[in-house]
Amino acid sequence: MMRDTLLSVENLSVDFTSYGRTRQVLRDVSFSVAAGERVALIGETGSGKSVTAKAIIGTLPRNATIRTGRILVEGRNVLDLPRAGREALKGTAFSLIMQDPLSSFNPVFRIGTHLDDVMRFADRRNGIATSRAERRSRIAAVLRRVQLADAERVMNAYPFELSGGMRQRVLIGLALLHQPKLLIADEPGTALDVTTQDEILNLINSLVSEENMALLMITHNLGVVRKVSDRVVVMHHGDIVETGPCRTILSEPAKDYTRALLDAVPALYGPRVIDMAQSDRAPIVRISNLNKIYGRRNGYHAVRDVNLTLREGEIFGLAGESGSGKTTVARMIMGLLRPTSGELLIDAPAPAKGRRLTQIVYQNPGTSLNPKRTVRQTLTLPLKSIGMQGDAREARLVELMSLVRLPQSYLGKYPHELSGGQKQRVAIARALAAEPKILILDEPTAALDVSVQKTVIELLVQLREELGLTYLMISHDLSLMRNFCSRIAVMLRGEIVEEGATPAVFVAPSHPYTRALIAAIPVVSDVEEREKPVVTEEERMRFLVKSTD
Amino acid sequence: MRHHPLTAILARLGTFLLVMVVLSLMIFTLARVVPGDPARMALGPAATPEQVQALRLQMGLDQPIVVQYLAYITKALHGDLGTSLVSQRPVTTDLAQTVPATVELVLVSVVFMFLVAIPLGVITAHYRDRALDHGGRILSLTGVTIPSFLFAITLQLLAARVPGGWPIIGRLDHGLGWQGGPTGFLILDGLLAGRLDVVGSALQHIALPAFALSMAGIGQITRITRSSMIENQRKDHVLTLQSFGVPERVIIFRYLLKLSSIAPLTIMGLEFASLIGNAFVIEMIFAWGGFASYGLNAILQKDLNAVTAVVLVAGLFFIVANLVVDVLISIIDPRMRRKEAL
Repeated sequence: MMRDTLLSVENLSVDFTSYGRTRQVLRDVSFSVAAGERVALIGETGSGKSVTAKAIIGTLPRNATIRTGRILVEGRNVLDLPRAGREALKGTAFSLIMQDPLSSFNPVFRIGTHLDDVMRFADRRNGIATSRAERRSRIAAVLRRVQLADAERVMNAYPFELSGGMRQRVLIGLALLHQPKLLIADEPGTALDVTTQDEILNLINSLVSEENMALLMITHNLGVVRKVSDRVVVMHHGDIVETGPCRTILSEPAKDYTRALLDAVPALYGPRVIDMAQSDRAPIVRISNLNKIYGRRNGYHAVRDVNLTLREGEIFGLAGESGSGKTTVARMIMGLLRPTSGELLIDAPAPAKGRRLTQIVYQNPGTSLNPKRTVRQTLTLPLKSIGMQGDAREARLVELMSLVRLPQSYLGKYPHELSGGQKQRVAIARALAAEPKILILDEPTAALDVSVQKTVIELLVQLREELGLTYLMISHDLSLMRNFCSRIAVMLRGEIVEEGATPAVFVAPSHPYTRALIAAIPVVSDVEEREKPVVTEEERMRFLVKSTD
Repeated sequence: MRHHPLTAILARLGTFLLVMVVLSLMIFTLARVVPGDPARMALGPAATPEQVQALRLQMGLDQPIVVQYLAYITKALHGDLGTSLVSQRPVTTDLAQTVPATVELVLVSVVFMFLVAIPLGVITAHYRDRALDHGGRILSLTGVTIPSFLFAITLQLLAARVPGGWPIIGRLDHGLGWQGGPTGFLILDGLLAGRLDVVGSALQHIALPAFALSMAGIGQITRITRSSMIENQRKDHVLTLQSFGVPERVIIFRYLLKLSSIAPLTIMGLEFASLIGNAFVIEMIFAWGGFASYGLNAILQKDLNAVTAVVLVAGLFFIVANLVVDVLISIIDPRMRRKEAL
């Protein structure tokens, strides 16, 4: 069946001009979305996928210029439309689902105010006069469509009073207010926990099919692509690499770039999975009955009776969603927080003055490196603190750079001159500078593209062997942990609910929460999808945080 | 969250009380250790040493400072701030006459600040890096750098050239036969009494000093508003509203302005300190007769009770202003309400 073309982007080229320099961010981009079709626009950072979406909606920044091309919405070129005509399309012809549910709302206005204003001005453009009460009941109806039953409460709430999942649902509702024919979704759910993201994707899928809308999904996650698209457009550096049906692209990609992208995605099951060897060396960290309560009276019990043993040389994964207490455990091991009760022993000779047994690599190297300091200055600080001077320090700097596979000349660079992966290498070098025994990795690749993630993980594996390190990795990315950790523990509401050798946990997860977590991971192949553990609806209700109401 | 909101307010008031106690201790001690004998200065050069000594005893200056302080506080809590050595009247009486004049001046200055600075900040943010923005920047810098007394004198010189005349000193035309009202605020009293001529004259008189006083603040608050608006403009929530076609003016004047008024309000609270400081100069130039010029006289005459009282009132002023700012911010920002209650 041939369906009408709803959106057609033809030979679109966009330039960005900043500080007098012009950069081409989109080159001759062409693709189309048919009515009722689900298309995924996939690419890594800088591929131009978000710019494409902004060009369609008409929210390109001031310094962007559309050089060539047409954007046809139902046959009309929106770039030729006068301003008012263009505004009239917003919310009705297409609408946008924003990425970050927290920052997408103005913090000092109620949720209902945002919704009402959007509806009021769209109504006005459509020439409909409506009363506030009438709009309120229409909004409540839409909120119920996105499974927010208590619409009154949601409308009266301020953004910070709702959970991330609920805010994401409101953002979807915002897009549905005027029954658009095309939904443009910019990485929805990326900022959420994996189980919540799964629910959000299911919701978008069911809405799209029930309302017969078309979907343009912008994402960097290939697993998400498989879940919510019929056709895929792969973008790289402003070019379209290839286009094709979702199944074909994911199973038999024609282009090397797409193949490399798929290879970089850590596998959950199947032959591509890497099993890390178990360590049989002596325990280095022993934790028994560890508790942490924040606040004095009626404090928040963040960590509850945790028992853990880390063996020397192993990569131990602490998995869990936000608020599960995994970061608190890591901070206590680092000595940054004092446990409320329990025992925490690090079995290693006491370090020399200024040295620490543990060091940490943070999630986002963009914020964990001081933007006003060069790589040399950043790395010198820990070396100074252990009393290293002169030639010895210089030699160590060179050594550190070669450890993280960065050229020596990068010592003089500032963070903004480095790519995300390079910045994370600097952060790793900084953590290694004072020769710790244990490295805590706090979602070390969460802010990176998958292809970069792969190289950083490879580096970490090599470093562990070269330097005899022990890793404690905190993450919610179970597919990554499957391939990187030798042992894994799953935390839920401050408690460890599952622990074991990684292969064993993934083959037969014993706790329903672990099963739910694994089941929610978006995977790229049908084989993996079939291998996922089964979770009953009852278990899901019991262990997952509700994002509906 | 778990505590009653009242606890937070009480805690805040407790802090303020502590500030007042420390302030009173400092000014009380300071006024007594600086050289110069207050009794001698009060009695003048003709007084005999015996007379001076008698007055010193009467004032309790022979006793340890701690004893003097406790006696002072005890009386102060009963509403007695002592007698002014210069005017020979209770300090409270003097204050009741002078404080309203200053409060009126400062409040009108604050109104000026907001009326000028907020719109200017919004406009310069909207047209950033264009001619209007550069113009606004020069204006703000001028406001901050030119000393307020210079500005005040310039205004007086200009006003003197206004055809028909424009009052450049005092608070009111003497010819109106105004006997004073219950609050001491001329604008308010005039309105209460239905005397529009009094209100008009008071407004005319207050315009110049209030404008001169607000100049530095206008410069600062314009800049803060501008940078706050620009910072918030880049946020995702602006993009959300734009993507759904909410008009630019609604985004700016409703969504951005409210969010961006938090920073200027905070600065406003701190600005009160320099407002009161500048009022000392402005009141002298415009012969305003407020408590700032009263305080200046008291300091020059080493009128101990008056000096102490003036400093305490200025401190109280600052504290109350900041309390009001805190309340306003917590009305604007729901997150603050939550945080405060924690």
